[in-house]
Amino acid sequence: MSENWVLTETEAVELLALLISSARIQLDEPAHYAPLRLLTATERLSALMLERASDKSKAFLQDNIERIPEMHMAMSDVETYTDGLDHLCREVAACLLRHSSSEGASA
Amino acid sequence: MSEQVLNNIRTRRVVREMTDEAVAREDVESILEAARWAPTGGNLRPIRYVVVEDPQTRRLIRLVAPGMFQKAPVLILICINWAIIEQHRMTLSDRTSLVDVGCAAQTMMLAAHALGLASGPVTSFSKEAIKVILNLPGSYSPEMFICIGHKAEGARRGMRAWKKITWRDLTHWERFEDK
Repeated sequence: MSENWVLTETEAVELLALLISSARIQLDEPAHYAPLRLLTATERLSALMLERASDKSKAFLQDNIERIPEMHMAMSDVETYTDGLDHLCREVAACLLRHSSSEGASA
Repeated sequence: MSEQVLNNIRTRRVVREMTDEAVAREDVESILEAARWAPTGGNLRPIRYVVVEDPQTRRLIRLVAPGMFQKAPVLILICINWAIIEQHRMTLSDRTSLVDVGCAAQTMMLAAHALGLASGPVTSFSKEAIKVILNLPGSYSPEMFICIGHKAEGARRGMRAWKKITWRDLTHWERFEDK
């Protein structure tokens, strides 16, 4: 495998803990908190990955770390919140394409 | 004096970003001492506090507390000790004890604010995971963390209000009219 590992086993377990805890607490919380929890996990995964990620991902990960905390506070503004999520969707798609094209090049 | 108290109530805010600066032990103790004076149903005092300062334990707690955005130097966990409620053979509902939790929480946050410290409550955590991480006695149920620390410079404001309200929007005077 030519790609870098971007998480240690401990970091992966930490992320699992966050995701599992998020799943449980969501049963007791308003439905609109679900994206908030997913975004929190996204932010923490981005922070964990950043140190070892390649240039294909780094800018996207850095953007998540900076943008997501601000988005949390905008939950009550549905339009801004939706715009922020759409922005992330576009950025992750672009990141996917960068990885996909380099895979194709090496195939 | 009354204006100082009211101003302390008006100016307290939930703080979601804190610095690494340590909180003095005497300040933590003052906050816990204030909580001791919070009202409690039946004067039973079933509330217990667990203070966590150890960095590694705080880190583990954050991993099972998705709602804990702060990296606070001090965490105070508010627990209900159900053994106390059973000892008194009281038929207190969950709700009554949860009111105690709320009273203690607000008392601590106001005390922290009066001491120039930042605070923020967190209830979004896995209770079962917290019981394991802190090795809580079986009769303790973890209900709420109060994060205590120093507000980070340029800390973002809290979640925007869904709707601008005043106390008048929240209050009805006297009996409601018949429909």
